[in-house]
Amino acid sequence: MSNGALLRCCGLSAAVEEKQILHEIDFEVPQGEVHVLMGPNGAGKSTLGHVLMGDPVYDITAGSIEFDGADITELTPDKRSLAGMFLSFQAPVEIPGVPLRSFLRAMVEGRGEKMKNKEFRKQTKALAETLDMDPAYLDRELGVGFSGGEKKKVEMLQLLMLKPKLAILDETDSGLDVDALSVVSRGMELYREQCDGTLLIITHNTRILEHLNVDRVHVMVAGRMVAYGTASLIEEIDAQGFERYEAAVAID
Amino acid sequence: MAEKKRTQVDDIDRSMYDFRYDDADAEKLDAGLTPDIVREISERKGEPEWMLEHRLKSLEVYNSIDMSDWGPSIDGLDMDNIVTYVKPPTEQKSDWESVPDNIKDTFDRLGIPQAERSYLAGVGAQYDSELVYHSMQESAAKMGIVYSGIEEALHGEYAELIRSKFMTLIPPTDHKFAALHGAVWSGGSFVYVPRGVRLDYPLQSYFRLNAKGAGQFEHTLIIVEDDADLHFIEGCSAPKYNVANLHAGAVELFVGKRAHLRYSTIENWSKNMYNLNTKRCRCEEEGEIEWISGSFGSHVGYLYPMSILAGRKARASFTGITFAGRGQNLDTGCKVVLAAPGTSASVETKGISKDGGIQTFRSSVVATPAANGSRCTVSCQSLMLDDRSRSDTIPAMDIRCKNVDIGHEATIGRIGDDKVFYLMSRGVSEEEAKAMIVNGFAEPISKELPLEYAVEMNNLIKLEMEGAIG
Amino acid sequence: MQTSAVTIGRASAMPAPTWHFLNMNDTVIEVPAGLAISPSVKVSEPYSAKGAADEFENALADAQEAWEQDHPAPTAEELATREEFLAAEADATYGGTAQSAYQVVADAIEESRSLAVAFEHGVGDEAAAYLRYAAGERVVVQADPGKQVDAQVVVAAVPGTVSAAAIDVIADAGSSVNLSIVVEADADASGQAPQPEGITGTTVRVFADDGAQVSITRTQALDEGFTDIDDTGLFAADDARIDVRQTILGGSATFTGLAGDLRGDSSRIDVDTRYLGHSDRKLDLNYSLRHHGPKSRCNLQANGVLAGRASKTLRGTIDLVRGCKGAEGAENETVLLVDEGVHNKTVPVILCNEDDVAGNHGATIGHIRDEQLFYLTSRGLSQEAAERMFVAAIVEQAAIDAPDEAAKDAVVRLGERLAPGFAELFEEGV
Repeated sequence: MSNGALLRCCGLSAAVEEKQILHEIDFEVPQGEVHVLMGPNGAGKSTLGHVLMGDPVYDITAGSIEFDGADITELTPDKRSLAGMFLSFQAPVEIPGVPLRSFLRAMVEGRGEKMKNKEFRKQTKALAETLDMDPAYLDRELGVGFSGGEKKKVEMLQLLMLKPKLAILDETDSGLDVDALSVVSRGMELYREQCDGTLLIITHNTRILEHLNVDRVHVMVAGRMVAYGTASLIEEIDAQGFERYEAAVAID
Repeated sequence: MAEKKRTQVDDIDRSMYDFRYDDADAEKLDAGLTPDIVREISERKGEPEWMLEHRLKSLEVYNSIDMSDWGPSIDGLDMDNIVTYVKPPTEQKSDWESVPDNIKDTFDRLGIPQAERSYLAGVGAQYDSELVYHSMQESAAKMGIVYSGIEEALHGEYAELIRSKFMTLIPPTDHKFAALHGAVWSGGSFVYVPRGVRLDYPLQSYFRLNAKGAGQFEHTLIIVEDDADLHFIEGCSAPKYNVANLHAGAVELFVGKRAHLRYSTIENWSKNMYNLNTKRCRCEEEGEIEWISGSFGSHVGYLYPMSILAGRKARASFTGITFAGRGQNLDTGCKVVLAAPGTSASVETKGISKDGGIQTFRSSVVATPAANGSRCTVSCQSLMLDDRSRSDTIPAMDIRCKNVDIGHEATIGRIGDDKVFYLMSRGVSEEEAKAMIVNGFAEPISKELPLEYAVEMNNLIKLEMEGAIG
Repeated sequence: MQTSAVTIGRASAMPAPTWHFLNMNDTVIEVPAGLAISPSVKVSEPYSAKGAADEFENALADAQEAWEQDHPAPTAEELATREEFLAAEADATYGGTAQSAYQVVADAIEESRSLAVAFEHGVGDEAAAYLRYAAGERVVVQADPGKQVDAQVVVAAVPGTVSAAAIDVIADAGSSVNLSIVVEADADASGQAPQPEGITGTTVRVFADDGAQVSITRTQALDEGFTDIDDTGLFAADDARIDVRQTILGGSATFTGLAGDLRGDSSRIDVDTRYLGHSDRKLDLNYSLRHHGPKSRCNLQANGVLAGRASKTLRGTIDLVRGCKGAEGAENETVLLVDEGVHNKTVPVILCNEDDVAGNHGATIGHIRDEQLFYLTSRGLSQEAAERMFVAAIVEQAAIDAPDEAAKDAVVRLGERLAPGFAELFEEGV
């Protein structure tokens, strides 16, 4: 394994309420690359995304997560975020009673950035515009009554504000509408342009990958990493699905 | 051809529970309550001195506090004229055959001995104020389980244990009828389950109030030691007279560490009964209390079993159903105190009211500052079967701890026309359809009961539902 | 005029009380001695002062007549039948159903067949009478049929005084009234030592005639030291719709009480309350909505954050009275507790003696929901930072949602006092 890995999982196993979901996952994402994590429904892809971010719902039962040269296995999600990790949620939560801009400001303040409220307003407004987002949304309660596409815009807005070292985009929902799809594509594009960021995209919707140079593809089945390859794997999976991989796991 | 269904509530055949015997030969004390009566009760029972003192203090409290002003009226209860103590002419028996015939017949008709033979580990039967029959299967006794009359236990091996627990969960100062209970309590059961002992079959007690205008004040004290497990079933009934009867029992339950107690009650007092019963349980670390409670009878009911979760990770669940029909005002619910870290409680209740009956769900959930990481959910559903009846929901929450999850939800409504229509379109009569829906509504409770009791409860619902179609 | 101390007992009492040990059934309002009765109230034009101070009473009397026409009193024969039935019932059921005191009162209110008897003040008659006395002349906001009237009443808190307004809203058939009430800190007194003490209050009566729409927002942004009393009584006729939005941000003790009679067919009342409790603040809220009209609707929403050593009691009663066929009542409260010293009491009550209804209530009390907390922490917020965010958000949301400049200014000034720099968030031209 190379030493340049930004993210590295070694023998990572995780469980929820004593049910084992991830089994000895080994994989890494080097700095500056674009990786895709694919797999059939229920393979544990989203779980992996949440475990990487430190969702307390899951217990890590074995293995470790290394990020940017440090072991983060025991860190809480806020510490991981401050270390430069970002997870775009498949289904962002709604937080009634909290206007989007209050949340964004708390997020900026949480990073110890001293920003005048005026400056903050200018920045958020500008970012909203680059994402074709009506600035009026900044005054609305976070996620409440937002469409799928609008929720994705909010996720991308945060991605661009935080400029993380690694962005994990959980886009497993195959029902992502065209609107949301283009929002995510645009967000990824800007993120790559502006911060030369590292991406781990969790999806089985290959359309989202159309304008990206994918470096590596990982395939997950039944909580295990079963294949690893170049972008050509995407085409193959597009054509043939996951049956080959599922059969291999079944034989085990 | 089946017997014609009755169409009026008045016609409901409750005779199964309504038989009674002449109480002429029972000794009655004078109506009214004085220190002398209390002394006489105590003397006759040959009690220890501390108990007499307890009674007299309770009487003072009784005379000094007012009846609560928030619940159903008890004006129909003339306390001065109530014969508070009725002693049947028999001593406690442990051989069923030697119980006097009329009393035995009563219990036979209620199916108690059969139930014992076929299923239960032990039975205590209280007739009016005294325990008349007590028995427990030998196997349970060999495990060290004690199930006896509490009065005799006051003189036995566990006398000191009883003294240290008696009316500590329900102090006489708690409310007027707790004080009355403290003054005149009589009969009841004492159960002791030693550490680590797990009884696979339920113990049961059955209360029957037979005398006219009488009070029943039995005291139940159950101690389930650490790691032990018990299921206790309590049934109540009384025949109907045209004067008020009063039931002011007290149930005190102590659940040790990692111990488990299930306490099931199907209450079907006759509809002249004022049921002001008090039940409380204290759970130590990881101990668990499960209440199953069905309230069908009584003219007036005040019943709120309380769970005090005093030890870390102690748990409580309360599953209850109340069915208030004509002339009934049943105010029922529960109280929960989350008083230690990591405790959890869940409450699920169903209320049904019809024919002018009043059904109130009343609860309190208190989380003390020590309740860090505790959770409690309360779910309460009420069904109105007509527009003459009343269903009220009064759940209170008092939360003094930040790190808790307290949830409450309640709904009220009637049987959906769409559901009735659907069933009728499948060939079911309207009456049957409604009975099916009500039974379905009650299912979460009946499925928690032992089979025989679930059958009894379903029969009660069926009885109540006949004639429900206007 | 200096006053002696006044104690208003049994204020904001819930209709159906429960255990006294919980100390939830009602509250006590203490007015300290030595305050001057001196309303500092600005009323914006246009509002119609047409009609005398008894405009409300007249409207209710007219409504009484109309209601009686639609709901004729039982005939002597019907009454006799009813008596007979009750006597038989009493015989058969051991004296009849043993009603509780509140059930007797509830029946008596219905039997009175009087809209005036049924009309209630949320904080209670005594508190309403006191505020009326302190307010002096009534503000009467009246909208002619089909017309719209916007009015604004600003009550300023002046240390050492009782500053109160009594407002009647009479919305004629098909009219619409928007009333904004702002209860603001006295700009000069802020930060004074010793802490300023005083009372602010409003007592509002609303009569919404057939098809009228009334919207009331009350924004309270007081400094510590003040006691605020917010008393409201509502009457909704056929198809009338009343929306009330209450924002409770400041003060040391606040008493909010709202009672409503959903008398008309398809009448509707929606109440949305946002509150913030911090430091040693005590909040007391009481809601009581009584459904009489078929297909009437009510919805009570309360969302609050409690921090510091704040304590709060909320009583919410939905009463579905016999005859309100097809009515629906809902109430919901979400309380976020962010500090150890807080104390929250909630009692969401449904009273019901009509079968063809849907009533539901819910309450969620405690810390930030797990999935919300994970989301927030994944963006770098610690749990504590997330909790502070909820506190700040209440004030910010109030400023965003403020119905007018006066309300917004009051909130922004409060926000600036709580967290310097807050005002920049709302400066124009960014």
